[in-house]
Amino acid sequence: MTTKVIVVGGGLAGLMSAIKIAESGHKVDLFSLVPCKRSHSVCAQGGINAAVNTKGEGDSTWEHFDDTIYGGDFLANQPPVKNMIEAAPSIIYLMDRMGVTFNRTTEGFIDVRRLGGAKYSRTVFAGATTGQQLIYALDEQVRRYEDAGLVRRYEEWEFLSIVQDDEGRCRGIVVQDLKNLEVQVFPADAVIMATGGLGMIFGRSTNSTINTGSAAAGLYQQGAIYANGEFIQVHPSAIPGRDKLRLMSESIRGEGGRVWVYKDGKPWYFLEEWYPAYGNMVPRDIATRAIFKVCVDMKLGVDGENKVYLDISHLDPKEINRKLAGVVDIYEKFVGDDPRKVPMQTFPAVHYSMGGLWVDYDQMTNIPGLFAAGECEYQYHGANRLGGNSLVAAIYAGMVAGPKAIAYAEGLSKRSEDLPPSLFEAAKTREEKQNAAIFKMEGKENPYKLHQELGEWMLENVTVVRYNDRLKATDEKIQELIERYHNIGVGNGAPWGNQIVPFTRRLWPMLHLARVITLGALHRNESRGAHYKPDFPERDDENWLKTTKAGFTPDGPSFSYEPVDTAYIKPRQRRYDVAKEVTMANV
Amino acid sequence: MTNSFLWRKLHSLSGIFPIGIFLLEHMFINSLAVKGEKAFNQGVALLHSIPYLWALEVIIIFAPILFHAFYGIWVVYLTRNNVLAYSYFRNWLFYVQRVTAIITLIFVGWHVLILRFSSGEISFNVVAQALSNPAVIVLYLIGLVATFVHFANGLWSFLISWGITIGEGAQRKAAYLSTLVFVVLTVVGVNALLAFK
Amino acid sequence: MSKKITFIIKRCDNPQAVAYWEEFKVPYFPKMNVVAALMEIQKNPVNAKGEATTPVAWECNCLEEVCGACTMIINGTARQACSALVDNLAQPIRLAPLTKFPLVRDLVVDRQVMFSNLRKVKAWIDIDGTYDMGPGPKISQNVQEAAYELSKCMTCGCCMEACPNVNSKSKFIGPAAIAQVDLVNSHPTGAFRKEARLEALMGEGGIADCGNAQNCAKACPKEIPLTRSIAKLNRETSAYALKKLFGK
Repeated sequence: MTTKVIVVGGGLAGLMSAIKIAESGHKVDLFSLVPCKRSHSVCAQGGINAAVNTKGEGDSTWEHFDDTIYGGDFLANQPPVKNMIEAAPSIIYLMDRMGVTFNRTTEGFIDVRRLGGAKYSRTVFAGATTGQQLIYALDEQVRRYEDAGLVRRYEEWEFLSIVQDDEGRCRGIVVQDLKNLEVQVFPADAVIMATGGLGMIFGRSTNSTINTGSAAAGLYQQGAIYANGEFIQVHPSAIPGRDKLRLMSESIRGEGGRVWVYKDGKPWYFLEEWYPAYGNMVPRDIATRAIFKVCVDMKLGVDGENKVYLDISHLDPKEINRKLAGVVDIYEKFVGDDPRKVPMQTFPAVHYSMGGLWVDYDQMTNIPGLFAAGECEYQYHGANRLGGNSLVAAIYAGMVAGPKAIAYAEGLSKRSEDLPPSLFEAAKTREEKQNAAIFKMEGKENPYKLHQELGEWMLENVTVVRYNDRLKATDEKIQELIERYHNIGVGNGAPWGNQIVPFTRRLWPMLHLARVITLGALHRNESRGAHYKPDFPERDDENWLKTTKAGFTPDGPSFSYEPVDTAYIKPRQRRYDVAKEVTMANV
Repeated sequence: MTNSFLWRKLHSLSGIFPIGIFLLEHMFINSLAVKGEKAFNQGVALLHSIPYLWALEVIIIFAPILFHAFYGIWVVYLTRNNVLAYSYFRNWLFYVQRVTAIITLIFVGWHVLILRFSSGEISFNVVAQALSNPAVIVLYLIGLVATFVHFANGLWSFLISWGITIGEGAQRKAAYLSTLVFVVLTVVGVNALLAFK
Repeated sequence: MSKKITFIIKRCDNPQAVAYWEEFKVPYFPKMNVVAALMEIQKNPVNAKGEATTPVAWECNCLEEVCGACTMIINGTARQACSALVDNLAQPIRLAPLTKFPLVRDLVVDRQVMFSNLRKVKAWIDIDGTYDMGPGPKISQNVQEAAYELSKCMTCGCCMEACPNVNSKSKFIGPAAIAQVDLVNSHPTGAFRKEARLEALMGEGGIADCGNAQNCAKACPKEIPLTRSIAKLNRETSAYALKKLFGK
């Protein structure tokens, strides 16, 4: 009897899961929407956190853990976060052994820098394209296992749904080949979802165009619980653009970049003034809200527009080239100015979803046999993610999910191959019908325009500053879009290479996930991390130190709440104008 | 290692050694014509006094040239030139290398045919006779320049293919060298050609 | 009256179909790039003649020139559509699919061959396992900086498109995979299997098929010193071949 695991998603979490499974000698089918090397992980710039303490600053895993919990405003369950933080240094060393071109100190050790929300230099980096370097290394390891016959890759295939048996266990997946839109079903004993973020729900974000969240959203519609959906990170610095908001890494501030605007004709370093303890190194939610206040409330944005200066022109150009070349190049290419000479102009942009599929400490969702890892799950960042923690979380979750999926599969009394073929045939037929139905859509609505409308509403009302009346209006708007969805027309293109039909398919779960985000925000009457309501400006631990859990019903999401496991650190007030209070590990 | 690796390497090498060496030697003997009919005829006689000349001709001249030519045709066939889309200097030279390969091949074939196989014993007069037609002179000029371009540029390429010049700087210096080789060969070769008038 | 930009796009429904050019007029906006223009066409798939048409198929993903997906031929040369700013392009703007890879539809091609080439040359480091074994070898800043240049390769295919020796007649693996051998061989652990990779490069369609046109380094959007890697590995494969020849 062979154990067969499927991994969906070719980013860091998916590749790491696949490597773990293959390493233990089991076979794995790896599905990815795009060739793995083009996954969104490539866009991660700043670096990956681990308390390696190579600068002699006295950093420790406890400090890193405390910063993460504190930065996440105490919403994360602490045990898995602690495990991740403790594994972080070994993850760095592993990636190092795989040949990642991390920047080096003069002695040849791995160099570290500082990112927001931290008092220590603990971010390991490879220029300003760390994510790219990490995923290339994992991709090559997977290729090695492919060469050994343990991994089979299906690139440019799209996940459609899972196959569930009578007991509700996940028994495989239905996918379509994006070349010809042929539907196929793949049985498996366990499935790991590593399908990334959902920035496209906000129309424009720092995310890649594949980050629609539709895979996770589809699972939510199939019965998976979606947790903390309302926690959406808005990154303080991106280049505004009509097609994309291009990220300008936090490492720019980490290497000495300063944020300012003109006030009374003079540069005003508002972050440094408001948060003397952390200055430009405050966490993302804090910096973003400060920039909003300066631009939207005080109307002090550059040229009266929603933009602030992000300035590195005072830094040594040689150091910029060594440590920030990747991002500086992007700015030069897309804006035309040289940041070494002229301050950059940036504005916040939707960046990361702290929320995602609910998982237990073994990375398993509420559907037995269905695991999740990476940005598509909710576990490691609480209400706000620290810069440099996403990469470590993705890799770590993959390291957990792989072996746990194998353990689960081996404990099954009946393998997928023992189940009646009709189970899989039925799932396949269901999805074929779905595709056929979309091909027949002949209405007036253009799916891309509908998507744009969704994005505009979400961006306007469900990001940095949230008001209940506007959240309500947004939910009503989404319901209107859901109605109008049925009036989409897809033209009369053939299936071969067709892009509008798969896009239309993705849009449906996206609309439903947008409701989860919006209503989750509406219900949560407090401010915590990235979720900020001026009408409820304080964190309310008494009522809201809880994980939001959304379940699908035909009438919309039903919400329940689960207490947060604060086993190690007692929640305390989170502020960055003064130094963080020291906590001690209860050993 | 496959055969194609070996053949490619030998192809690159054969252009320099022995073919390139032979080309230099050939130009040296030709240049004796500049010193007059007698000097040239003496030079030819000296060459012809080499023992086992026929074997040497076959091993270090005809066989390498035939190999270089025929494998070269295959190499030219495998290329899809794109100088209009990518009009970089080096790409043009790459294209020129292939164009001159064909010209050189035709020229050498014709040259050998009229001067080696159909004219009997070679001498100053025989050559002068063959070159008495101005059209032939023009064709010879074209053929010679093409051959020198092909050799000089091939030398630059050989230095990379065998991993002798690696960095951009080294390759640039090699380009200067190959230009110099081209200029010297052209001056010497054309001068010798015109000496047969 | 808003300015409109003309795009002439090479379209083809499938590999067997006949290709044709279709013209589109897209309203201009500042800092517009080719991907943004294609997105506008998606939202309003009407050609310049005012006829409804199928939306143009193309690939894109990161939109910031790190994923390599949106590579296409723009006004004759291969580059990423996301970083091709309309302001810097001659108009009308002509878009066509890459020619060195099998066509899927319109501007979409299948570049899997580039990934199989990486497999062919074994461009990975053979680690013992993913369990905790402490840090890797120390590496000098110089070595890291040289390696980083090579590790930025996003397998976009620009070098393949520009190379006259990569085409349907030849088996040449192209510059990208060769540079990755240089990258892995330059790592202290990667060097342990250096010779296996040299062997791979000396195989059918390997490094010897390079004709030194040197378009690759010029066409590379990441300015990877591809020709340097090729020359360096020319040296190593030649030396290795001689060593094998005389060391037996």
